[in-house]
Amino acid sequence: MDNIKDSAKGWREEESKNVTFIVTKDCQLICKYCYLVGKNTHERMPFETAKQSIDYLLDTPEFSSEPAVVFEFIGGEPFLEIDLIDKICDYIKTQLFVKNHHWFNAYRFSFSTNGINYHTKKVQDFIKKNYSHISIGITIDGTQKKHDLNRIYKNGKGSYDDVLKNIPLWLEQFPGAGTKVTISSADIPYVCESVLHLYSLGIEEVNINCVYENVWKEGDDILFENQLMKLADEIIDNNLYKKYSCSFFSTKIGKPVNVLLENHNFCGAGKMLSIDAAGNFYPCTRFAQYSLRDKKAIIIGDMHKGIDKNKLRPFLTLDRFTQCPRECLECEVAGGCGWCSGENYDAAVSATIFQRSMANCLMHKARVRANNYYWNKLYRKLEIEGISENEIASQCIHHNKIC
Amino acid sequence: MLQYLIVQLCDTSTSYCHYENPSRTPRLISLEDLNAGILFAMKENLMIQFVYPDEELPLSYKKAVDSIDHNTIVSSLCEDQNLVAEADIVIFHEWTGLDYFAFNMEQAYVLRTSKDDFFDRYAQLKWVFPRVKRFNIVFTDIESFSEDDYKHYKKILNHLSENIEKLLIEGLPIQFNLLTDRLTLSTMNNCNAGWKTITLAPNGRFYPCPAFYFDDDSLIGDVHKGLEIKNPQLYSFDYAPICRHCDAYQCKRCVWLNKKLTLEINTPSHEQCVISHLERNASRKILKNSNLKKEMKDLSEIPEIDYLDPFDVREQWDFELLQQELIKFHKENY
Repeated sequence: MDNIKDSAKGWREEESKNVTFIVTKDCQLICKYCYLVGKNTHERMPFETAKQSIDYLLDTPEFSSEPAVVFEFIGGEPFLEIDLIDKICDYIKTQLFVKNHHWFNAYRFSFSTNGINYHTKKVQDFIKKNYSHISIGITIDGTQKKHDLNRIYKNGKGSYDDVLKNIPLWLEQFPGAGTKVTISSADIPYVCESVLHLYSLGIEEVNINCVYENVWKEGDDILFENQLMKLADEIIDNNLYKKYSCSFFSTKIGKPVNVLLENHNFCGAGKMLSIDAAGNFYPCTRFAQYSLRDKKAIIIGDMHKGIDKNKLRPFLTLDRFTQCPRECLECEVAGGCGWCSGENYDAAVSATIFQRSMANCLMHKARVRANNYYWNKLYRKLEIEGISENEIASQCIHHNKIC
Repeated sequence: MLQYLIVQLCDTSTSYCHYENPSRTPRLISLEDLNAGILFAMKENLMIQFVYPDEELPLSYKKAVDSIDHNTIVSSLCEDQNLVAEADIVIFHEWTGLDYFAFNMEQAYVLRTSKDDFFDRYAQLKWVFPRVKRFNIVFTDIESFSEDDYKHYKKILNHLSENIEKLLIEGLPIQFNLLTDRLTLSTMNNCNAGWKTITLAPNGRFYPCPAFYFDDDSLIGDVHKGLEIKNPQLYSFDYAPICRHCDAYQCKRCVWLNKKLTLEINTPSHEQCVISHLERNASRKILKNSNLKKEMKDLSEIPEIDYLDPFDVREQWDFELLQQELIKFHKENY
C-alpha cells in the first residue's frame, strides 16, 4: 500500500563526497533572494583549474575515501558554461578510469539550474552523453506571479515563461524529478498556490524552504502558518498526498532534540569541498567571497598546496551544543529546525562559525504548528478510511524527509 | 570571570609568548589611558601585569605603575637592569646569555625559542634547572613542527624528564612548564586570554592578548568605553569541542594561535595538540617513577591513551563528557 508519497532521497546521499565546481559567477537572472552577493561576468573557471583540482582530489586518498562522489556544478548559472562542464566531466571520467579509482562508476554529475538554457543543443547533447550519471534540478518557484516576483532578468523581466517551456522536456527526461522553491518575506502569500501549481505541472516533489537570511517582517510567521494550513487542507482534501510530496510536511520536525544523541552539525560544511575559478578550496560554496555579505571568505586550501587540515578542524568538530544559544538547546520543537553554517558565519557578531543565527526561529515554529495540523488531519482521515494504525505508522516512518 | 589585566606599556613592550612583536619604534601608552586602565583594574578587581619595553620608562609612568599592586614582565635585555633584577617574570628571546645570567629563585623565567634552537641547545637547560624555581619554554614556530620533529621532541622531553625527575626526588621544587605542570593539574589551566585575562594595548583599546594587537583586528573594547567581548563563551574551555575532550591540562591553548591556524579561537591546531600530548605523556612517564610518588603523594594518575590529537578520535568522544557539560550548563543558567 502506498498511502503517502515519500520524498526521494538524494543519490547515495549518506555515503558520497560532494565536490562543487563554481564554474561561473555569472547568471542570466538577478533573483531578489539570491544569497550570492558577488555575482559577476568575469570569474569563469579555466579548464586547467578544474583539471589540477581533480588531480589533487583523485590523488589524495584521505579526501576521496567515500564510496561515491557527486560532482556538482554551480554558478551563477552552470549551463552558461556547458562547453567547460563537458570538458571537465570528460576529464573526470577519463581519470577515474586511468587511475582505476574506486569512484569509477560511483559518480554523479549534479546540476541546479534556472532552466533557461535547458533545451539548447549543447545542454541536450551533454545530457544524452552522460544520462545515466546525471541529476538535474530546475528551479521554478511556483505560479508565474510568485516566480516573476523574484526570479527576474537583469532588465527586470520575469523568467517564468522561459523556464516553464522546458519543464515538460525535463520531466520527460527525469521523471519524478523535484524542484527547489525558496521562500522569502514577499513570497509568503503565494506559498499555497505555488506548491499546487507545481503539482499541476507534473512536478511530484517540491523541496521548499525559507531563506536563512534575516529577511522576515513582523507577522510573517502567522501569514506563513496560514498559508501552510491552507496548503495542508488542499493536499489532504484532494488526496494529493498519495502522489505528491512537499518537504514542509514531515513527521520528523517539531520534536525536542536530544543533544546527547543529535549533537552533530546540521549541514555538511567541511565534509564537502567547493572550488572556485582561482582554484581556491572552500568548506562549502557559502564560504566563498561571492556568497558573503560582511565576512571574509574562508579558504581551506587551494589546488597547488592542497587542503589545509587545520582549517577543516572547526568544521569537523562543529556541534549543536557549542553553536546553539540556550534558547535553541532548550527548544521543545527544535527537530527539523535547520541552519546554514555559511549564513551563521556571515550573520555572527564575530568571525566565527560557532554562533547560530536565530533569524528563522519564528518561521520554524509556524511551520511546526502547520505541520502538526497537517498530520493530525491526515491521520484522522486515513483512520476514517479504514487504514490500520500499523499501516499508517509504517508509511510515516518512511516519510521523514526534512528540507 | 576576568582575573587579570595585562597592560602593554609600549608598542615595543617585550613579547612573552608565541607572538612576535614587530614594532621597532617606541610609542608609550598615553598616561591618561594608563591611569584609566589602572582604575578599570581596581574597579573590576583585576590583577595587573605590566609588560615593559626595553627602554626605561619616564618618571611619571613609573609613578603610575607603582600606584597599584602588580606583576612585572620584562625582557632580560631591558636597559633598566634594576627592573630586570626585581621583575616577577623575565623573558629571554635567545639562548645566548642564559649561561651567565644571575638567576633568582624568586623570579619566573620564560625562554622564547624556535623549535630548531630548542633541538640544538636543550642540554643547556640542565644547567639552568637547579638555579630556578620556574622556567617556561615558549615555541615561536609551533606551526612548523613536522612528523620528524614530533619524534625528536619526544626524545628530548624524555631526556629532560630524567633530569627533572632527579631534581624533584632530591627535593628541588623545580617547575618546568613542559614537564611538571601536568603533574599537578587536574583540570585545564591555560592562558585563558579573553576569558580570565584581557590586554590593554598602547592605543587604549582592549584585546584578548597582546598578540591580537599586533596581528589582528580583534578589538574587545576600549579603556574609556569599557569591554565588549563578542561571543565571549568561545574563549572558554567549555565551548571548545576538541579541548573539552582533552586532558593535556598543561597545554597553552593559545587562542591567538588557534585563530591564526584554524581561523577559530576555540579550535587548536593539530600541531598544538600533538606537542601538548607529547608533553603530557612525558609527564606521565615521570609520574610512574615510584620514588617520586613517595615524595609527592598528592599527584593523580595520568591515564594511558593511544592518540596524540583528540581530533583524530572524535568519533569515539563519549556522551558522558557532553552530559557533564549540559549539567553544568543547566546549573549555571537556571
